Amino acid sequence: MTSLHTGRLRLALLALPAVVLLLPFLLAVLFVLRFSFSGDTQVIEGFSLERYLGLLDPFFLRSVVLTLKLAALSTVICLVLAVPVAMLMASITQPIWRRVVTSLILLPMILNLLIQSYGWIMVLGPNGIINGVLLKLGLLDRPVQLLFNEIGVLVGLVQTALPLAVFPILGSMRAISTQYLEASASLGAKPWRSFRDITLPLLKPGLIGAASIVFAFNASAFAVPLLLGGRRVQTMGVAIRDMISPMFDWAGAAAAGVTLIAITLATLMAATWLSTRTTQWQGAR
Amino acid sequence: MPSTTSHAGRGSFGWVMGTLAGLGLLIAALPVVIILIMSFSGGTNLDFPPQSLSLRWYGAAVDVLFGEKSEGTMSAFSAMTSSLIVGLITMLASVCVCVPLSYALVRSQGRWRHLAELLFTLPIVFPLVVLGVAYLLMTEALSRETGVDLGLLRLAIPHITLALPFVLRNCLSAMSGVGVDLEEAAMSLGASPLRAILHVVVPLMKPGIMAGLIFAFIISFNEFTVTFFMYTIDVRTLPIWMYSRTVSSLDPTTLAISTLIIALDVALIAWVDKLVAGKGSLF
Repeated sequence: MTSLHTGRLRLALLALPAVVLLLPFLLAVLFVLRFSFSGDTQVIEGFSLERYLGLLDPFFLRSVVLTLKLAALSTVICLVLAVPVAMLMASITQPIWRRVVTSLILLPMILNLLIQSYGWIMVLGPNGIINGVLLKLGLLDRPVQLLFNEIGVLVGLVQTALPLAVFPILGSMRAISTQYLEASASLGAKPWRSFRDITLPLLKPGLIGAASIVFAFNASAFAVPLLLGGRRVQTMGVAIRDMISPMFDWAGAAAAGVTLIAITLATLMAATWLSTRTTQWQGAR
Repeated sequence: MPSTTSHAGRGSFGWVMGTLAGLGLLIAALPVVIILIMSFSGGTNLDFPPQSLSLRWYGAAVDVLFGEKSEGTMSAFSAMTSSLIVGLITMLASVCVCVPLSYALVRSQGRWRHLAELLFTLPIVFPLVVLGVAYLLMTEALSRETGVDLGLLRLAIPHITLALPFVLRNCLSAMSGVGVDLEEAAMSLGASPLRAILHVVVPLMKPGIMAGLIFAFIISFNEFTVTFFMYTIDVRTLPIWMYSRTVSSLDPTTLAISTLIIALDVALIAWVDKLVAGKGSLF
């Protein structure tokens, strides 16, 4: 074997090309950070907090509130759907069915966001499936607006984030031994009781992880609010884009972007803190 | 694994969970299924269910993508070739740097690996919008200061950034399966360290490398958000072209093109799945 010294050098050289390719990313992040503190809106000049203060206007604050609201709602819905889906996936024994269900769940992540929005337009639109069925059944006399508003965006957010919620919960679920549930059933507990007292508490780390990922992901959403919200749903992502064009307030967009990063970072850190506290508590029992 | 079916008297629990699970799967798959069905519709409107079935829109799609009307930089053909070229650059560049990097990380002693994995995972947790803004601002500043026009690299560089985390994961898991004893055996038989890597390690990593290549391509080909910020008149991808076309209204030809893209994605993912089968998951 070569000596440790040249071994280290050789390894560093092997890692170098990758670091070079990652550099644009790191530079871009620093660039945006610097730009957000610029005195001018078009170029980096001077140092001022003006851009951040400029974010305190009603237009942007409204988009922050909307973003947080949609992210929170979609997180709750995702969790409510993801737990049953994870239970389903965990209980499938035949590999072929397992792959089918896994592929179904993975679809939203792999496929083009634009293409999937076409699907939703046809399902949720005024001439779409849902309205068509409801009108035919006589439950409505006019199509209900499910698209190009917050409802459409919410549906899209839930769909694209569902896989992100399912996998952490599935991971947690796989770690729950059937012995617990069998023991509880033999003691006479009904399924709902077992679920509430055994499954849910043991799922907590997975739930926290899933909730934080979904919240952070949906708060940063851009394509879904853009494509399914018409021009009416101004989440932070869309607001940032409007600051670039047509408003050309680049430094403002940078500041808004940094704010968005701060929100997602805070969410992820809160989740990590929460989950360490939970496991500590569970470990101490 | 917990099973809800082994208890007597499931009652409402099984029902509720089953319905919710079904709803979840339905929501996940519905858009794709609808697009699939509607692309075969014979009529010109988008009412469901389709009155008749036909392949006419696929003919129209092929015509749009490859036909004579497809000239110039604003055309579908040009957008499609740009998508393919950018995808190619992304996949080759990502894999070429991740293979040596994964070798270095797996062979080094622990500490660096964790740090590097963290560093290279950053692009995933970073909001795509802000990434788009950041790259745009930097590229504009660059062209203002130096007059350099990056052309397709405008798109390739951000795509590489987005693909690196996934490609690295694939290469790391492939690399972990190749023990140091194999290299040492090769070297004890007279091979130089470089030959040992090229002729022993890399071939053993092949499935993982292939999976990484395909994954990087899929990510690049389907990318929308960051590309949305970075595209220009001369440089655009197929998703961007489709977006410009459908801003005002949705037409069946676009659905046919969408189904073709979906078919491509599914085929590529199935290939990756076969390559990675049993050797750990992609995510």
